[in-house]
Parts: sequence; structure tokens; C-alpha cells
Amino acid sequence: MENHEWILSGIIVIPILGALVLLIWRKATKKQAATIGIISESFALAIPLVLLSVLRRNDQIVFSLPWIQNMGISFRLSLNWLCLIFLLTEVLVTLTAMIYSLGEETGEKNSNFYYALLLLFSLGMSGTTLADDAFLFYIFWELMLVASVLLILIWGYGETRFRVALKYFIVTHLGSLMVLVCLITLFVNFGTANISDWMMQANSLAINTQVLLIIFFIVGFSVKMAIFPLHIWLPDAHTVAPMPVTIILAAAMLSMGTYGILRFPFALFPLENLQPFAIWMMIAGLISEMYGALMALAEKDIKRIIAFSSVSQMGYIIFGLGSLTLRGMEGAIMHVVYHAIIKALLFMVVGIIVAVTSERDIQNISGLGFKYPILCVCAAIGVLGISGMPPLGIFNSEWMIFAGGFDSGVSIALTIIVLIGSLLTVIYALRFFGNIFFGDRKPESLPQKAPLALILPTLVITIFLIVEGLTPGPLLTWAMKGLTSFIGGLH
Amino acid sequence: MSGMFTIVLPAVILIGGAFIVYLISMICDLNNRTESILAVLVLIGALFALINNFNEIPNLIPSSDAHFGNSEPGGVILMPSALSIFIMIVSIIITILITIYSGEYLARDSRYLVYYPLILIIQAGLFGMFLSNNLFNLFLLTELTTVAASALIAFRFDLEIAIKAGFKYLIMSSLGAMMMLLGIYFFYRSTGDMHLTQILESPDNLTRIAAACFLLGFSLKAGVFPLHTWVPDVYGNAPSAISGLLAGVFSKSMLFILPVICLRLGMTREELGAYLMIFACFNMLVGSVRMLGQSQLRRFLSFSSIAQTGYLMFGLGIGFYYDLDQAFSAGLFLFLVIAIMKSLAFLASGVYQFYLKTQDIEKLRGEGHHMPLIALCFSIALAGLAGIPLLAGFAGKWMIFSAALVTGDLFSIICLVIFLTSTVISLGGYLPVLIKQYFRSSNTVEVFNSPERPVSVSRWLLIPITLLSLLVVIIGVYPSPWINLVNYVIRWMLI
Repeated sequence: MENHEWILSGIIVIPILGALVLLIWRKATKKQAATIGIISESFALAIPLVLLSVLRRNDQIVFSLPWIQNMGISFRLSLNWLCLIFLLTEVLVTLTAMIYSLGEETGEKNSNFYYALLLLFSLGMSGTTLADDAFLFYIFWELMLVASVLLILIWGYGETRFRVALKYFIVTHLGSLMVLVCLITLFVNFGTANISDWMMQANSLAINTQVLLIIFFIVGFSVKMAIFPLHIWLPDAHTVAPMPVTIILAAAMLSMGTYGILRFPFALFPLENLQPFAIWMMIAGLISEMYGALMALAEKDIKRIIAFSSVSQMGYIIFGLGSLTLRGMEGAIMHVVYHAIIKALLFMVVGIIVAVTSERDIQNISGLGFKYPILCVCAAIGVLGISGMPPLGIFNSEWMIFAGGFDSGVSIALTIIVLIGSLLTVIYALRFFGNIFFGDRKPESLPQKAPLALILPTLVITIFLIVEGLTPGPLLTWAMKGLTSFIGGLH
Repeated sequence: MSGMFTIVLPAVILIGGAFIVYLISMICDLNNRTESILAVLVLIGALFALINNFNEIPNLIPSSDAHFGNSEPGGVILMPSALSIFIMIVSIIITILITIYSGEYLARDSRYLVYYPLILIIQAGLFGMFLSNNLFNLFLLTELTTVAASALIAFRFDLEIAIKAGFKYLIMSSLGAMMMLLGIYFFYRSTGDMHLTQILESPDNLTRIAAACFLLGFSLKAGVFPLHTWVPDVYGNAPSAISGLLAGVFSKSMLFILPVICLRLGMTREELGAYLMIFACFNMLVGSVRMLGQSQLRRFLSFSSIAQTGYLMFGLGIGFYYDLDQAFSAGLFLFLVIAIMKSLAFLASGVYQFYLKTQDIEKLRGEGHHMPLIALCFSIALAGLAGIPLLAGFAGKWMIFSAALVTGDLFSIICLVIFLTSTVISLGGYLPVLIKQYFRSSNTVEVFNSPERPVSVSRWLLIPITLLSLLVVIIGVYPSPWINLVNYVIRWMLI
């Protein structure tokens, strides 16, 4: 094996080592634990960047070790353009959350365990994106779930977290089982768990099997994406989870569903077999978009508002995927990235608001704008971003998604409705911003300054958002390369 | 003949050992721990004999004269099979751990003197049942194990519930034994013989009735729906170590004797497979649904055990119905991992009971702080049973799953859907129990606070539990060699 293949395995191995060290080192203070966590996670960020030049030459880097040979299962990772985007997004979000944790109270006790779980959570997601073996994929997919459930259970807010965590586990596990059914069906049919090998053969399956697999895959992954009506786990889980975990859940984990849909049904089966489902995916996208936005308008808890906004934003993504055009899918991928950044930013803002006011009801918070100007600017950028204001990222991705919708020729009316529906986003975003940062009632007994440890990462993310929005070039190229190499017949 | 003697050597060691352990303990007035070590030595002896047999499988099985005893009417014939040797090895290894565990677990009991010999006799009886090719011997050995097991279930005979449980087991098992006796009658009437050296060439109605009788008898012993009603009472009230032994190994292994006997009595593979698959569905559903809302720890584990009996039957059923070796592998692998995880769960729950003196699940709250290692091991057992990846249960789930999908048949797909439903329902059972260990009460946030009264768990209890947990993790992470082992056994399985 060549050197760069071994380096690739570092994305998995180094966080595991970091987590092990943390699990053993029980007396670590929060700072020490965070240092180890951040260092190991930085490797996961640096390695794909280092491998970028190799990736330009080869378009794919594969690391493979034999594992369960008698069942045709191997430990096989593969880095390609598509998973690079998701991998970088997820690792960046985790890093941000880790740094953000330092500024707030989560994980003061047993910090070693907290950071180890964050590492494992992130490991689950990087493994999911990198795995090129169905068995391995499912293991990482479940690791992601188990780690996040533990984080919610142990560090979550309120007395309901026991029930919420259970609901989250069981609902998303149902989705996972649907995925598992598909994975094992393919495994049984082809006698190997190697996903790259499946791509050559999948079209040889009977058309009925293909249709069933497509339905199961899309529904299964939609649970993770929290598409209406499969979103029921999301609002509670996001509200109860501690803020850094909410950031990872909303910004990174939701996108794994998108990755799954692209990686399995879209990449395996020819587009014409997916065509009958296009309209349904688009309708699901429309309903999710509307429903999420309306719920965000109706909610009073500021954390829930942002949580429902995720349901709404995932609607755009599934709509873009459903258009089955290159533009729509590119848009969906870009939306994943931009949504991740903006959602992380908004949750960080909410975290700071909760930290300074100890209040989550939007009616009791007002007039923060003059007191905390930096926070106000960050929030303004986040809110404008999510409403799709140019040049902030989501404008680019929504543009592509709608263009895809018009291109697809499925239903122009549907696209127009979604386009108009995006106005709802503006309404809830402005309500959120206006209520909190303006208003008559001036806060008096609040601390003079927002905690610096929370403001700094928020600022960094804000700047990153602007930079990303202004330079969508590389992202667009990667998305195109990834999509065209995976999905045949795109135009 | 000396070669043939090795076949029965493990049984001889076990039976002889039972008497020797009893005599030595009585004469020398040994204490509980010393006696348990003696029993472990006997078991290790039997294990070596079995491993020797296992290595000899290629020489033993194909030769037609590889049997012990004679075929005269009323004579004893014992024939080895790869399957029986494998299951006995699993059983003996688990029993060794349970015996070590009992070295401390029985510290508060006075009647340990008979405990270990009875365990050894159960093992010998089980081995005999697998080897026996004579229906009457089979019946006698079944009765032997029944009596020994009921004595162990009612071991704490000062407790009324223990007596009730033992009595219930005795009555139900005797009912099963009666069915077998009836079966023997029909078989004898039809053939004038009681030997079963190979599959009947011309089964008539009488032998088919005999097969049905044996099917019922063994189903009862295995706890197959609707004959499962004794399971929660018995496992729930027997000493934990005994529940672990019975639920983990003994009653599950009945599912492997059942097909051997029924097929030889003229039942077709399709009939047997259909029976196993249909009733597997009932078992899975009943077990997982009734598991929810149980308040007693071991009753809860008993219902989960009923569901697992269903999973095993499902695997074997597919194997017979579709003639699929892969499904047998899945079933046998599942037997291995369930034996480990189930006995682990019962042993760990026994530690809780030993120190907390209660079986109430609510009382487990916060015990994760006082007995962290036990809580971890119990969590591994529950998560493993729930089929969380990287633990042994997941590999088993994957194998059953692929076996069911390989057939591509509607029947197996329907059963698979029920299997899936059952695993999801049972998640709702396992997870709350697992989580409760780490929450002091539902309202307060006290996770991972420093323990106030750490309980120092005895090493005698810890060592077997830790070993079993390690096995669950090792098999889960690297199942390859274990699957190879199971495939090897299946290759030599001659039914």
C-alpha cells in the first residue's frame, strides 16, 4: 500500500486513539480533555487537505484491509470528491463545537468522557462518509447514533431527556433498519459488501427489487434528514441536547442523510429508475419547507425555532435531490455545506443568548442589540444568510436548487411554490432577530459583556460564512466532480 | 474400542466427577469455594476431552462404526456428531464460568454441597442427550436433566417462590417427558425398535405421530410458544447462576436436538422448517412485547430469552425450509453469541441481586456509580442482545438477516419483518433498563458523580463476568474466526 493510503486511515485511527486516551485519563480537566479532543479532530481535518493533491491526480484514494473474509467484508475506506465535502463539513462543525464547549458549562464534570464522546460522534460521521464497505458503513452509522444518544442522555437539559433520548434512538434506529434491509439485500445479491463493486452490478437487479430498494433507502435516510413526517425526533432532541451537541446534530448529522441518499440510491441505480420518485421527493421537500417554517414561526422557545428551521432547510435539500438534475443536486450539496455553517452560527448565537439571559422564551427576550453589538452583527449575518440573502452562501445554493427544479421538467408549478415558500423563512428569521435584538424593553440586570470564549468562535464562523459565500468556486467544482463520477447520466 | 471410548470420555468424567466432588466435599467438609474449584477442575477435564474429540472430528464422523455400545434391543448407542461436540464445548465453557461465579454467589447458602454435583450431572445429561441414538436412553437422560435442573431451580428451598418455580419446571418438563414417552410408544409399535441410527426409510403414520410427540416435548423444554409460560417464572425465581445456565445454554440447545430426532423419525425438512419459522414469529413477538414494562430484572431477561429462542428457531427454520447451509451457520453462530450474552446478563443481574437484595429494576437506579464494572458489563450484555454494532449480537443479526434475504421468498421475508419488528420493540425494553443504571432518579442530574458508597464486588463474581463481556466485544469486533469455526461444524453436521 502506498503512503497516502495509510495516511487516509488516520482520519479514523487518530480520533479513536484520542478517544481511548480520554477514556483512560479520568482525571483530565476540561481544558486538558478539550486539547486532546481538538488535536485529534484537527488531524481529521488536516489529513483530507493534505491528500487533496493526491486526490486531484487519482480522483479516489482507497484504504483496504481484510476483516471478515469469510463473509466478503473488509475494512475499506475510500476518499473521493463527494465524501470530501461532507467529511470536511462534519469535521469543521465538530471542531467548532469542541471549541465552543470550552466557553460554556457543558461537560464540566467528566470532561474526558464528554470529549471522548464528541470524538466518537464525529468518528461515526467521518466513518460513514469514508466507508466503502456496507458492514463498516452501518457500524459507523450506528456509532453516530449511539454517541449522540449518550451525549443527550448525560449532558442534556431538563427532566425529559430520558424520554427524548429514547424516542430519538428508536425513531432514527427504525430508519437505520430500513437502510440495513437494503444493505443486506444488496450484500446477499452480490456476495460482497464492497460498495464500489455494487455500483457496477446494481443495474442487473430486477426492476421491482430496485424500486423497493430505492424506496427503503430514501425513506430510511429521510428519517436522519428529518423530512416531514419523519422529523418527529428532531425538535425534542435538538432542544434537550446541550448546545455544542445541538450544533453537531443540526449542522453535521442531518447532512449524513443527504450523503446516504447520494451514495446509495442515486449512485447505484440508473436515473430513469429514480424518475418516478422525483415528484414525491419534491413534494416532501415542499411540505417540509413549509411545515418547518410555519412551526418555526409558531414556536416560542428560541432553540426550537432554530430546530424547526432545520426541518425547513432539509426540505430544500430533498427538493434539490428530487429534481434529479446536476444543478439541483449540486445545489443540494452546497446547501448542506452552507446550512451547516449557518445552523452552527445560529445555534451558537442562541447559546450565547441563553447564556446571558438564562431565558429561552422569545417573548421574554428583547432589546439585546444595543447591549451586545458584536453578537447582534453575527446574528444579523446568520439570519440574512438563512433567508437567502446574497452573497451569503444559501443564496447560491438555493439558486442552484430552484434552477434544478425548473430544469427537471417535473413540475414548474411546484418549484414556484417552493420559491414563494422561501418567503416564510424570511418571516421567521426576521421575527427571531427582531424580537430578540430590538424591542422596547431594555434588559437591565444582564451582564455587561457576552462571554468572550463564546463570542470568538461565533465571530470566526461568521467570517467563514462570508468567505465561503463569496468564493463558492472550489465547492462547486468538488460537488460537480463528485456527482459526475458517482451518478451516470446527469445533465 | 479404545478410540470409541474417547467419544464418551467427557460424559464419564462429568458423571464420575459429580460423585467424586460430592464425596470429597462431604468427607473433607470443604467450603463452598473449594468445592467450586473442584467442580471447575472436573469441567476442565471434560473440556479437554471434548476438544480432543473436536480435533478428531474428521476421523470420527465419517466412519460408520464410530459409536459406543451395541445395537441389541435395550442396548445403548452413543454416536458423536460435530454439532454435539461444539455445543457441549460452548456449554462447558459457560458452565466453568458459572461455577467460578457460584463460588461467591452461594456464600450465603448452606446447601452448596449438592449444587456443583447437580451442575455436573446436567452437563453429562445434556451430552448424553446429544449423543444418544436410542429413544429410551434419550428419555431417561431428559428426565435426569429435568430432575437435576428442578433441584437447582428450587435450590433456595426456604423461599416459597423458589419451590414454586422448581415445582413448575418439574411439572412442565414431566409433561414434556410424557409426550416423549408417548412418542416412544408409537415408534416402538411401528418399528419394534428404539434405535435411531439413521433416518427412517419408510415413515408411517405412527412414526409421524411419534415425531410430533417429540417435537412437542422438546418445544416445551426449549420454551417455544405457546409452551413458554413456565419460562419467566422459572428463570425469574431460580438462582441467577442457574437461570444463566438454563436460559443461555440448556434450553437453547434443545432446539438443536429437536431437529435431529424429528427428522430421523420421518418428519420432512419442509414441515420442520415451517414449524420452526411460524412459531419463531410468535416467540419473537411475545418475548419482545412482554419484555416491556417488566419490573423484575430476571423476569425481564426471561422474556427476552423467549424472543431469542425465536431468533434461533428462525435461523434454523430457514435452514430446514430452504435447505440453506448459510442459515444453519447463522443459527449456530447465534447460539454461540446468545449463550455468552444471555449468561452474562443473568450473571450480572445476579451480582445486583447479591448486593442489593432486590430484583426490582427501579432499584438499579444509580448503581452505575456504585458498581461501575458490573454496570458496564451488564450494559454490554443488554446492548449486545439489542444488536448494537461492534458487539457480538450484531454479527448474528447480520447473518440471520442475510440468510433470510438470500432465499428471496415471501415467507421468509414476512418472518424477517416480524424479526425486525421484534428487535425494534425489544430495543424499547433493553435501553431503559440499561440507562436506568446510570440515573439516580428520573429527575435529578447526577450522572457520573463520585460514588458515595462504592461496593467492592468480589473477584469471584467479577472474573467470569469480565471474561464474558470481553468475549462479547471480541466476537463483535472480529467475528471471522468464530464464523469459520461455526462453518466448520456445519460442514460436518450430518442430520
